[in-house]
Amino acid sequence: MSDAPSHAPEKSILPSWVKGPQDFIGGLALVAIAAFALWASSDLQGMHGFSFGAGTAPRMFGILLLGLGAAVTVVGIFTEGPGLSKFHWRGPFFVALAILVFAVGIRPMGMIFAAMSSFLIAALGTPETRWKETIIVGACLTGFCALLFPYALGLPLQMWPTFLIR
Amino acid sequence: MGDLFSNLGLGFSTVFQFVQWTPAFLGGMSIPLPINILLCLIGALVGTLVGVLPGIGTIATVAMLLPITFGLPPVGALIMLAGIYYGAQYGGSTTSILVNIPGEAGSVVTALDGFQMAKQGRAGPALAIAAIGSFFAGCVATVLIAVLGAPLTKLALAFGPAEYFSLMVLGLIFAVVLAKGSVLKAIAMIVFGLLLSMVGSDIETGASRMSFNIPELADGLGFATVAMGLFGFAEIIRNLDAGGEEDRQLVQQKVTGLMPTRKDLKDSTPAILRGTVLGSILGILPGGGAVIASFAAYTLEKKLSKDPKRFGRGAIEGVAAPESANNAAAQTSFIPLLTLGIPPNAVMALMVGAMTIHGIVPGPQVMQKQPELVWGMIASMWVGNLMLLVINLPMVGIWVRLLRVPYRLMFPSIVVFCSIGIYSVNNAPMDVVLAGIFGLLGYWLIKHDFEPAPLLLGMVLGPLMEENLRRALLISRGDATVFFTRPLSATLMAISAFLLVLAVLPALRKKRDEVFVESES
Repeated sequence: MSDAPSHAPEKSILPSWVKGPQDFIGGLALVAIAAFALWASSDLQGMHGFSFGAGTAPRMFGILLLGLGAAVTVVGIFTEGPGLSKFHWRGPFFVALAILVFAVGIRPMGMIFAAMSSFLIAALGTPETRWKETIIVGACLTGFCALLFPYALGLPLQMWPTFLIR
Repeated sequence: MGDLFSNLGLGFSTVFQFVQWTPAFLGGMSIPLPINILLCLIGALVGTLVGVLPGIGTIATVAMLLPITFGLPPVGALIMLAGIYYGAQYGGSTTSILVNIPGEAGSVVTALDGFQMAKQGRAGPALAIAAIGSFFAGCVATVLIAVLGAPLTKLALAFGPAEYFSLMVLGLIFAVVLAKGSVLKAIAMIVFGLLLSMVGSDIETGASRMSFNIPELADGLGFATVAMGLFGFAEIIRNLDAGGEEDRQLVQQKVTGLMPTRKDLKDSTPAILRGTVLGSILGILPGGGAVIASFAAYTLEKKLSKDPKRFGRGAIEGVAAPESANNAAAQTSFIPLLTLGIPPNAVMALMVGAMTIHGIVPGPQVMQKQPELVWGMIASMWVGNLMLLVINLPMVGIWVRLLRVPYRLMFPSIVVFCSIGIYSVNNAPMDVVLAGIFGLLGYWLIKHDFEPAPLLLGMVLGPLMEENLRRALLISRGDATVFFTRPLSATLMAISAFLLVLAVLPALRKKRDEVFVESES
C-alpha cells in the first residue's frame, strides 16, 4: 500500500481541479484494488446455467468495488475535502520491519531471540526511546511471554534456536 | 416462562461448574475449581488491563487477546472472551474519564463530562457511577437476551436462504447508516471486506480463488490475522504518528473517595434507566449499536435536562447515561449473533471468528444442539458484569498507575505480543507477515478516512452471503426476483432500501451528523 506519497505534497502533484485530494487518491486506490481482484479471478469459472461458478461472486464484488471506488474518486474531484494527510515513515517502517524480523526469525531462531530482536527494532520507531529501559522491559516481556504461551496457555512454541537444540 | 428459568438454570449451572483439579505436587489430592468463573474473572481482568491502555479500543483489545483463548474448551473460551469484551469496554471508559483519550468512538461521549469531573477531583464518583450504570444495564440486558433468545430462534428456523441473504444485506446497511462519516466510503469498505473474504478455496467447487499459489492463502485469509493487523498494528502505527506523549493529560490528583454522594445517585438514577432502555433497543439493531447508543443517550439527557448548560462541565448524568447505554447495547448485540448467527458489529464479528476456530457455526442450530454453550455464555454475561463491579472499583489505583506507562515502552510490547499471538494460531510465519501487511493497509485506510470496522464486518459476512445467495438462486432456478417475492425477504429488502435512501437524504444526514458532532463541541 505504498501508492500514497509519503511526504505530503500539499496538492503539488495533483491537478488543481481536484477539490478533495484525500478522497480522490483513496477512490483511485480502491479502483486499482478492484481491477487487480478482477484480473486475479479472471481464470475462474463463471455462471453455468443458473448456478454460480467459483468466479461469479468475486467478480460481482469486484465490479461493485470498482463502481464504488470510481464514485469516491468523483466525489473527490467535485466536493471540497481534506487534503492528503501527512504520512510519517519512521513508525510504520520500523513496526513493519519488527514484524517481518519476527516472522523470519521465529522458526530458525526460536521465540526468545525473535521476540527480543523484534522488540528492539520496534523501539526504533520513535525518537523517544531510551535504550537502557527499553532493553530491560524487552527482556522482561520476552521472559513473560516465554512463560505465558507455552505453560499457562498450553501453546507449544520453540524457545531456542534450532542449532542449539540439536 | 418455565422455559426461561430452566434455560437460565442450565446457564448458571454451566458457569458454576466445578472441575476437579489434581495437580501432581499435591500427591493425588484434588481440588474442585470453578473453572468457568475463573476464566470469566481472568478475561475481565486482562480485558480491562489492555483496554485501559490509551488509544486501544475494544475491537483491538479483543483481537489482541483472541489467541490466549485458543487452548481452552469452547464453552470456557467463549465465556472468557465475553469477559474480555466487558473488561475492555470498562477499561476504555476508565481511560476516557482519567486521561481524556477515548479508545473508541463509543467512549468519546463519556470523556466529555467524565474528564471534567475528574479535573474537579471527582474521578472517583465518575468511575463508580460508570461501573454501577454498566452493571445495572448489564443485568437488564442479560434478562432481555434470555427472554428474546428462544422466540427469535424459532423465527430464525423459518428463514430460508433468500431471507438470510436479505437479512445480511439489512445488517450491512444498518452498519452503514449508523456509522460515522461518509455513507459511500462505508459501503466501499464493506464491499472491500466481501472481496477479501473471497480469497481461498471456493466452498462448493474447491477451486482456489485469488490465492496466487501461496499455500497459506489456500484456506483464505485468517480472520484473526486480518483483525489483528487492521486494529492492533494499524492503531500502534497511527498512535506513533500522533506523537504519543504530548496529548496525554493525565489527571494528577489522587483518585480518592470512590463513593458517589446521595445527590449523585439521585441525579444519575433516571439517566441510568433511560440509557439502559435506549441502549437495549439500539443494541438489538444490526450495525454498530453501541456507538450510536452512547451518543443518542447523551443527546437525550441533554435535551431532557432542566439545565443543559451543565453538560460538558462535569454533569454526572453525562457519564451515567452513555455508559449504561453503551453497556446495554454491547450486551443486546449478542442477540442477533446467538439467534440468527449474524454478527451485528465488528466485535461480534470477532466472536464469530473465535467460534469458527472452535468449530462452532453460530446460528439457530447452536441454541438447540449446544444449549449449555449459549446459556452458559448468557449467564456468564451477568457474572462478568458483577465481577467488573467487584474488581474494578477497588483496583482503580492500579489502572491509574498503568496509565502512566510511557507509550515508548508500551508499543514495542504490543507489537511483540501480537506477533507471538498470531504465530501461535497456526504456527505459520506467513500469517505474521500478512498481519503486518494489513497493519500498513489499516494505517493507509485511517489516513484516507476509511473506517476499518465495516471492512471486518464484510469479511465475516462474505462467505455466509455468498453461500445463501447461491442456494437461494439454485432453489429458485436462477430467478433473482426471489428476494422480492417471498414476503419476509421482500420486507427486509424494503427496509434496507428505505434506510439507504434516508441515509443519503440531506435532511437526515444533517441530523445524523448533529448527533456525532456532539463530541467536538
